[in-house]
Amino acid sequence: MKTLRALLATAVAVTGLAAGSASAADATFMTFSYAEETNKPLVEKVLTGFNAETQLSVEPLGFAWGDIQKNLFLRARSNDLPDVAQISERWLPTLAALPGAVDFNTVYGADELSKIFAADALAMGQINGKQMGLPWISGSIGMVANKAVLDAAGIAAVPSTLAEFKEALVAIRDSVPNSVPYTMATKGNGSILLDFMIWTWVHGGSIIDASGEVKVDSAESRAALGFMVELMNERLAAPEIDRPDARRLVGQGASGFYFDAPQTRTFLRDFSGQGEAFDVNVLPMQTPVLAEGNEPVSIQWGHLLMAFADGATTRADSPAARFLSYATGDAVQSDFPLKLSALPSTQSGRAAASGDAYLANWAAATGVSRTNEVGVWPNGADLTNIIGEEVQAALLGQKSADDAITAMSARLKESMANAVPAS
Amino acid sequence: MTVVGPDISKYPVSRLANRRGLKAGQSRVGLLFLLPTAIAFVLVILYPFGNALALSFFRLTIEMMTPQFVGISNFIRIASSPDVWSSFATTAIYVTLVTGGTLVLGLAWALLMNQSFRGRSVLRSISLLPWILPGTVSAFVWGWIFNARYGVINAVLLELGLIEFPQAWLSTPQGAMLAVVLTKIWLSTPLFMTFFLAGLQNLDREQIDAARVDGAGNWAILRDHILPHLRPVLFIVVVLGLIGNLQHFDTIYALTGGGPVRATSVLSVEVYRRAFEQWDIGIASSIGVLWVATLVPLAIWYLRMMLKGN
Repeated sequence: MKTLRALLATAVAVTGLAAGSASAADATFMTFSYAEETNKPLVEKVLTGFNAETQLSVEPLGFAWGDIQKNLFLRARSNDLPDVAQISERWLPTLAALPGAVDFNTVYGADELSKIFAADALAMGQINGKQMGLPWISGSIGMVANKAVLDAAGIAAVPSTLAEFKEALVAIRDSVPNSVPYTMATKGNGSILLDFMIWTWVHGGSIIDASGEVKVDSAESRAALGFMVELMNERLAAPEIDRPDARRLVGQGASGFYFDAPQTRTFLRDFSGQGEAFDVNVLPMQTPVLAEGNEPVSIQWGHLLMAFADGATTRADSPAARFLSYATGDAVQSDFPLKLSALPSTQSGRAAASGDAYLANWAAATGVSRTNEVGVWPNGADLTNIIGEEVQAALLGQKSADDAITAMSARLKESMANAVPAS
Repeated sequence: MTVVGPDISKYPVSRLANRRGLKAGQSRVGLLFLLPTAIAFVLVILYPFGNALALSFFRLTIEMMTPQFVGISNFIRIASSPDVWSSFATTAIYVTLVTGGTLVLGLAWALLMNQSFRGRSVLRSISLLPWILPGTVSAFVWGWIFNARYGVINAVLLELGLIEFPQAWLSTPQGAMLAVVLTKIWLSTPLFMTFFLAGLQNLDREQIDAARVDGAGNWAILRDHILPHLRPVLFIVVVLGLIGNLQHFDTIYALTGGGPVRATSVLSVEVYRRAFEQWDIGIASSIGVLWVATLVPLAIWYLRMMLKGN
């Protein structure tokens, strides 16, 4: 009995210690930038700065970009959501439905937020009139060229039309050995979706319109997928390429073009091994258009901060809310986004960033970005998988482009019919 | 004649003594030892399974605050889903190839390791390496071997002039399936080899020598002496292999993610994708329940044979 009592006492003590250590920080912050080797020091700097200013501590919970949604979902099931989470803007319609998700209009007031943030950035975090996410960094997904590879292939100017683009790709294929001229996403449904969406827009098509009607079964979408298949068949693009593979190949001088967000410059500094010396090779460019005079396209992109609290509300002076204020305040916005090679989300941050030539070029090249047609739906994950699978089937020769578009359309319609509207 | 002995009536029976005797006491101690495992089983396996079983009758997606009872409609949706049926077919192909391949290689390697030669102990130890390595590490090793740009296979074939351009092995359904099958065979062969080797150590050498004197060749010895002797081991290895391969997930997901398209989407991957990519917990639970149903007959068969002492 004595032993049993001792065991029980030990168990209680250990549990107490564990509980104590779990609640040691004033707030928890789930973040994918912290899990990226390149960006970890930047997040650490934000956390240290917050601690120095407020004497409050924030515990970072670093998870890979692809694991954030799963972790939030599982933690919601066990009632263990972090106080603050960093998310991609396209996940918001899905994650806004999680219990405890805070509407920031109730914390800071909609008018106050509109004074602080740039309108386009603030709009990324809105769902049905609620401010479910605060923009942290913003930008767009557009085309990037590698100047070193273009020079090696004798390409003097970046291509502006599809015909010129294809000529440039052929030149790279024929003059840069072992290269993948355009590192089109051919692996990873989330990445494939973005390439397909952009080429569909370039060809004048659409996947799903603003009312939720599936529009992908069109001549324009078929032409877009046909174009992507053609690039594969002519060895101008390659299988087994996801966004991280593309960044590495570009950094190693083995690819001329790819789609990415502006923060690609920071990744390329790292992957090239040349640091800032590689910056001269990173050329933001307009996505080639089908015909002269067409409007170039790019996809709206950004990272948002969400907050979770009991009763889906929190006070502006809670540690989590104070951390959010700090992360979107001038001290962070004039430094963190620029080091990430992204646009700040606040008006004052953007004014401070106006001297960054790269970001100015990026903004000029990508123009007005369009909203991700798929990410805005609560069943976005399902839609992404469907599109990724069908496009990949066509790219790998398992289906014709026509068959893939027909099947994609039918599957998307079924998914949209079963979708639960966003709350 | 009077038998003189100690008068046991002088020794009072302890109040802690059990009327049912020593055996009952031993049983109680046995149950006590079993208790931690039983508690862990209930908490980690039985409760989550019961939960999943219940959820298979509910609609539950990320957008829903509370599950909605839908009866057997999840199972009806599964029955009409070609994707789920193709996952069953893919699982059958994967399990058959891996179990068969591991069986043949494990037995062959065990026969080799049972021979006397210099350095046998070292080789036996090294043979266990794939089994010791974490599954994801093995998956990345094999991913590198099959990689289209940096892979060893392409490098060798290009060097030999057998291919003109690097081949994207993991981008074809056959290549991806081959990769996940080879990876699992590589991982499991040491375990199978260990089972077979243990069985071979009990084989009567004189029986083999006698067969050789009678003129039996290697194949005849394998067929008529070794395999019959290993029959109980073979049974255990096959059943455990089938169960393990039906459950396998990590190397497949790390190597191909179930792709390209759905070429390597076995049931474990399908459940994961439904739950954590499409956020449809109800359907994922239903597929999981059917997946467990495929395992139950094997488990019962195995337990029955074990209890019978075979």
